[in-house]
Amino acid sequence: MIHFDEMACLLYLEGQLEPLRAREMALHLGECATCRILLHALERESTVLTAALTEDNEAMPARLLSARGWNVPSWVWTFAFGAFAAGAYWLWADTVDPWLQQLSNAGFGGTDFVSLLFFSGAFWEGWSSMIHVLQIAALVIVAIMAIGLLRRRFRRPTAIAAMMSAMALALMLAQPAAATEIRRDESVLVPATEVIHTDLIVSGASVRVDGTVEGDLIAFTGMLIVTGHVTGDVIAFAGQMRMEGTVDGNIRVMSHTVAIDGAVGKNITYIGNSLDLTEKAQVGGSLITINGDADLDGHIHRDLLGMIRRTHLDGGIGGQMWLRGRNLTIGPTGEIGGPATFRGPRRPIVASGAKLASPLHIEMQEETRRLLFEAIQVTVNEIVGFGAALLLGVLLITVVPGFFHATLRETGRIGLPIGVGAVALLTGVFLLILGILLIFVGVGAGVAGVLGYAPILYVAQVFVGTWLGNKILGEAFNPTSAVIGRIALGLLILHVAGLIPVLGGLMWLTVGLWGTGAVLLGFYRMSRPEALPLPA
Amino acid sequence: MNPADQASEQERIARAKAGDAEAWGELYHQYAPAIFRFCRRAMPTREDAEDATMDIFIKIRQKLSQYDSSRPFGAWLYTVAANHCWDLLRRRKGRQDLESGEIENMPLEHPDPGQLEQLIEQRTSQEVRRALDQLPSRARMALVLRYYADMSYDEVAATLGVRRAFVGVVLLRARHQLRDILGGRGAMAGGAT
Repeated sequence: MIHFDEMACLLYLEGQLEPLRAREMALHLGECATCRILLHALERESTVLTAALTEDNEAMPARLLSARGWNVPSWVWTFAFGAFAAGAYWLWADTVDPWLQQLSNAGFGGTDFVSLLFFSGAFWEGWSSMIHVLQIAALVIVAIMAIGLLRRRFRRPTAIAAMMSAMALALMLAQPAAATEIRRDESVLVPATEVIHTDLIVSGASVRVDGTVEGDLIAFTGMLIVTGHVTGDVIAFAGQMRMEGTVDGNIRVMSHTVAIDGAVGKNITYIGNSLDLTEKAQVGGSLITINGDADLDGHIHRDLLGMIRRTHLDGGIGGQMWLRGRNLTIGPTGEIGGPATFRGPRRPIVASGAKLASPLHIEMQEETRRLLFEAIQVTVNEIVGFGAALLLGVLLITVVPGFFHATLRETGRIGLPIGVGAVALLTGVFLLILGILLIFVGVGAGVAGVLGYAPILYVAQVFVGTWLGNKILGEAFNPTSAVIGRIALGLLILHVAGLIPVLGGLMWLTVGLWGTGAVLLGFYRMSRPEALPLPA
Repeated sequence: MNPADQASEQERIARAKAGDAEAWGELYHQYAPAIFRFCRRAMPTREDAEDATMDIFIKIRQKLSQYDSSRPFGAWLYTVAANHCWDLLRRRKGRQDLESGEIENMPLEHPDPGQLEQLIEQRTSQEVRRALDQLPSRARMALVLRYYADMSYDEVAATLGVRRAFVGVVLLRARHQLRDILGGRGAMAGGAT
C-alpha cells in the first residue's frame, strides 16, 4: 500500500489540503493504520507545541507591569532638569565665570565685553534694531518650545506655519544698521580735511585715514594706515596696520603686523604675528594679545594680558602683567606698576634698570619636563575621564535601564543620531550667541537654555562606547555585568583613540554629534506620552 | 469574548484612538502580558522580548488610527508584533537562517510514527520550550506564529515573506529540527514512505 507522506498528513491535519485530495486522504486513513498513527502523532505534537508555547510559566517583567498610565514620566523631567542644572553650574563655574573674571581684571568689565566681541562697534547705530531682532528671535525660540510642549494639540503643518510666520515677522522687523557710510575702492583715502560724521565701513587693497571719523572705523584691507582721528573704535581685518593718529575708543584687529605709533583711548585687542608699540604709543586701557613677537616700547596704562612667543618690554605697564610665551626681555626702561607673572620654558631677562612694583613671578617650565608633565596630565585626565564615563554608564543602566536601552537603540541607527546631533550643535551655537547677547542687554536667563547641552555632550560617549563594545563582543542585554563590560571596552577604545593627534579630535567630534543625537532621540522616545512604560 | 465584552473593548479602542490615555492604559494592561509572552517565544532572550514589547506598543499606539475595527483587535496586535519581531530578527547579522531560498530542496526524512509518539509523550513543556529556544529564528517564528498566535497560513506567509505554498514546508521543517533537538539527530528517521 502506498502511504501519504508526512507533509500531506500535516496539511490534512491543519485543513490546508485541497478538498479532492482531502477526501482521498480521508478514505485512505480509513484503511491504513500506519498513516492513522502518523496523523495522530502529528496531532499530538501540535497539542504539545501549543501547550508549551502558551503555558504561562514566566512572570511579566516589572518594568512592563509598572506602566503608570501613559503620562510623561516624572523621572525624565527630573533627570533632564538635574542634568541641566549640573551642566549649567559646571559651565558657568568652569568656563564663563573665570573668563569674565579674567576680562574684568584686565579692564574689560560690563558692556565692554560686548564691544570686545565686536558687536557694539560694528552695529552701534543699529543697536536698537538689533535688540528688536533679538527679542523677536527669543520669542521665536519660546514659541518653538511652546509648540514642542503643546505638540499634541497642533498638527505638523500648523506648527511649521507658526514658525515660518514668526521668522518672517522677525525678518520684516529687522532693520539694517543705519547711519553708516560705506566706501569700497582699490585704494581708499580719507583726506586730512575730511570729517565723516558717522561710522565708516571701508574695504580696498589699501586704506588710509588722514581725516576724522566721528564714529567707528571698520576696515577690511591689505594695508591700513590711520594718521587721523577716530572718535569711536577701530575694527580691522588687515594684512598690515599702522596707527599714527588718535583713536578714542578701542582697537580690535586681526592683522599680520600692527604698529601703534599714536594714542589709543581705550583697549587694544590684537591677534596676529607681530606687534610694535613704539615709544610714542599710549594705550589708555589694556592690551590683550595673541601673537608671535611683541616690541612694547610705548605705555599701557592698565594691564597686559598675552600669549606672545617673544616679548621685549621697554615701555611701561600701569597695571598688572600676565604673560605666557617662550622669551621675555624687560629692558632698562621697562616698567610694570602691578603684579607680573610670566610662564614659559625660559627664564626671562630683566635689565637692572627695569622698575617692577613687585618681583616678577616666574612659572618655569622645562621643555622636557613640561612635555612629560603634560603627557602624565593627559594620561591621568584620560583615565579619570574613562572612569567617570564608565561610572556614568553603570549609573544609567542601573537607574534608568529603559532610557539606556532606548538611547542605545537610537545610537545603532548611526545616520539619524549624527544628523540630529549636528542640528543640536548648530542650534546650541545659535542659542549661545543669543544667550550672550541677551545677557548684555539685560536678560541674564537667556544663556541658561544653552547650558543643558554640556551634560548631554558628556553622556554621548557612553552610548557610542556601548555601541562599539556591542559591535566587538556582540549584543548583550543581560546580565548587566556583560553590558558594563561592553561599555568599558567601548569607552576604553574611544579614550585611547582620543589620544591620537587630529584624528582623536575628529573622532571626539563625531562621537559628540552621534551620541548627542542619540541621547536627544532617546529623550524624545521616553518623554512621549505614548512612549514607554516606566522601568521598575 | 462575549458581545458585551467586545462592545466594551471597541469603546475602549475608540477612546484610545481619540487620545484618551486612560483607555490606552487599559488596553495596554489587557494585552501586554500576551504580547510579552509572544515576544518571549519569538525572541532569543528575555531582554529582547521586553524591548520588543515596548517597541510594539509604541508602534501600536502610533498605528491605532489604522486599525480596522471589523477585525479582532487581538489578531491585529499579533500581526504588528509578529512583523516587528521578524524584522528585528532579520536585521541581526549572524542569526539569519539558512532556509531562505532552499526550502524546496531540503529533504525531509519520514518519521517512525511510533518513535514520534514516544518522543512527544516523554518530553515536558519546559523541555519543549528549551528546544524551541535553540531553533533557528525562522523555524521558531513559524511555530510561534502558527501554534501560539494561531495565525492562518496566509498570515504566516505574509509575516515571514514566503509563498503560502511553502508555509507547510517551513512548519514541517521546524518540527523536524525540534525533534532533532529533543531526541538527538536522526532518532526519528527510518519510517517508510
